[in-house]
Amino acid sequence: MSDQLAVELLGVTKRFAGHTAVRDLDLMIPTGSVYGLLGPNGAGKTTTIRMIMAIIAPDVGSVRLFGQAKRGRELSQRIGYLPEERGLYRKMKVIDLLVFMAQIKGVSGRHAKKSAVEWLELLGLSDWVEKKVDDLSKGMQQKVQFISTLQHEPDLVILDEPFAGLDPVNTQVMKDVIVELTRRGTTTLFSTHIMEQAEKLCDSICIIARGAKVVDGSLRDVKREHGGSHVVVAVEEGVESVADILDDRSLVSKADNYGQYAELELVDGADAQRLLHGLVSSGATVTRFEIAEPTLNKIFIDLVGPDAATPRAEEVPNNA
Amino acid sequence: MRKSWVVIRREFLERVRTKWFLVGTVLGPVLMALLIFLPAVMVSRSGAERAIAVMDVTTSEFGQRVTEVLDERGRLQATRMQVEAAALETTADSLAQAVGRKEIDGFLIVTDQTVEDGRAEYRGSNATAQIEMEMLQHFLGQALLTERLNQVGVDPQLVAHANSVRLDMRTVTIRGGEATEQSGEATFMLAYFMWFLLYMAILLYGVQVLGAVVEEKTTRIVEVLVSSLRPFELLMGKVLGVGAVGLFQLSIWAVTARLLLTQRDVIGRMLGLEGPAQAFPLPEVPVSTIVVLLIYFVLGFFLYAALFAAVAAMSSTEAEARQAQAPVTIFFVIPSVLSLMAMLTEPDGALFVALSYIPFSSPISMPLRWVVSDVPIHELIGSIALLMLGLLLITWIAGRIYRVGILMYGKRPSPKEVWRWVRAS
Repeated sequence: MSDQLAVELLGVTKRFAGHTAVRDLDLMIPTGSVYGLLGPNGAGKTTTIRMIMAIIAPDVGSVRLFGQAKRGRELSQRIGYLPEERGLYRKMKVIDLLVFMAQIKGVSGRHAKKSAVEWLELLGLSDWVEKKVDDLSKGMQQKVQFISTLQHEPDLVILDEPFAGLDPVNTQVMKDVIVELTRRGTTTLFSTHIMEQAEKLCDSICIIARGAKVVDGSLRDVKREHGGSHVVVAVEEGVESVADILDDRSLVSKADNYGQYAELELVDGADAQRLLHGLVSSGATVTRFEIAEPTLNKIFIDLVGPDAATPRAEEVPNNA
Repeated sequence: MRKSWVVIRREFLERVRTKWFLVGTVLGPVLMALLIFLPAVMVSRSGAERAIAVMDVTTSEFGQRVTEVLDERGRLQATRMQVEAAALETTADSLAQAVGRKEIDGFLIVTDQTVEDGRAEYRGSNATAQIEMEMLQHFLGQALLTERLNQVGVDPQLVAHANSVRLDMRTVTIRGGEATEQSGEATFMLAYFMWFLLYMAILLYGVQVLGAVVEEKTTRIVEVLVSSLRPFELLMGKVLGVGAVGLFQLSIWAVTARLLLTQRDVIGRMLGLEGPAQAFPLPEVPVSTIVVLLIYFVLGFFLYAALFAAVAAMSSTEAEARQAQAPVTIFFVIPSVLSLMAMLTEPDGALFVALSYIPFSSPISMPLRWVVSDVPIHELIGSIALLMLGLLLITWIAGRIYRVGILMYGKRPSPKEVWRWVRAS
């Protein structure tokens, strides 16, 4: 089983002075998946990622990568990591910087140079190979940083808030890169607090809040399990004309009436077809009847609550 | 280990490629060459061909005597002009014009007054040249003395005999119970020069480590780096890389200094200088001194670089790091200044000896002691051993602070927190 997992966390706990950043977290990231680690700010996403990267060690529990007990540093050649906050050596030449970043992961100098040049070409930075990082625009620096994360063709790519601070063009570049990596069989783990992005890209997710797991699994399963039934209804005569049907509490648990249309949440186990039948037989002209999947955002807010964000405490190890 | 090497290489190459490194490396020897040869160039340019007039307004033979003394012994071409007291100002004017036309360099006015109260006057284009004016004064004084002795009837031969002696006191440094070829002044020059070199090099390169650590922390590159290599390997790579640059530069300076000093006659001749004319005595730099200098630079740099790195790791911004470095800098400056003072006041005193053993001051103190006094070899070894021990301890503590600090952002940690970092497993 575990050889099909790119990352496996078992019972991982990390305490910092004053609070527990991550509490008894299990995480299974299947090889080849695009995995979203979701949670509000301060939920413990970055701490979790740092433990996966072996930048910090968990107090309790184990981290396995590619089914091996080896630490992240020994596997650094197989991992690409983009930290939450971005930055490069500003005074270095682009090519020297990329070669250095590859060599630090264990790639040979000659090989590193070749692949860096290829990547720069791919992302339209051929004219900037010999320029200093300082001379590049912010958008170009972001691209250089993607390259430094991906150039050594890692099997596992870990991106901490990859879309934060990106301009629209680079957001698209980043998404294309993730899609392309997935096509090649790379496992991608990224953290975000923006659910729309996770919804578009991920096949599996884990939502954490206050350091603990709230839900995880494939996106489809999570939606099926926590979605409930959502129906959007519009009738030609206006929603008010069918208000008595929408108020049927044996069928509809909640109705948001927007005048032109209404968003309904059905009672658990209720049959949407029964609602449609009721509407039609009341004589209304139904112009829209859509059984909608709930958005991830909605699931997130339902499960975590709007006030889930905890202030980021100081990350001081207290395991002295 | 291979990854540390990648870090060392980057630190070294990026620094050596900067303009500042090139300028600093070239400027050092150029300044040393100027210090050695410029006085010689000036003396050889000035001394030989000064032409002055002696405006003799006296009624005695004094003017004649002054002219002879200056002409014979003073490396001058002196011409006497007999002038009536009434024509003094008009003659002075025309001589001033001659100076303006560069026919002569200046003129000396001697009167009967000069013999009585010692007042004379020199006007010339070289009136600000300290050495030449001192020489002029010296020979004028000699002529004056002779004149006055003659006036009271002392035997002229006796006067000539008394005048023929020139005082020349040599100061010689004693090392190992033996007198060296080195003068006391030259020894002091060398010690002071070494103090300056060590002080600047340790401080400048130590601060570079501080800057490098803060840069990686503020740009968060450090997160990517420590996901590939252990924080201590990273720290070691940085310190060794920056240290290698310092060692490289210092070696270039030390070797060129030695070459300039040992080959100064050859180089002087190539520059067309006659003889080893110099304004102050120049020291010899034995190879052993260079070795001691480099050993203490390396160890001292490591010690302070580790401290600077720890301080940098505690700071979140460059501004914060600049503030936080102040205690470390003071910690370095005070022992350095104490060492210099101890050397100047009591080169054999207990304070100087103690300073040369304490790891925080020995990187500066011991090389100074080595130059100015006779340090037994076992004291040198003891001092190095203590310094290495201190270095191990400091590096261990600094490494632990660094390891935790580089991933911390937000407010500066309190000393209590820092202590917890050190103790954290």
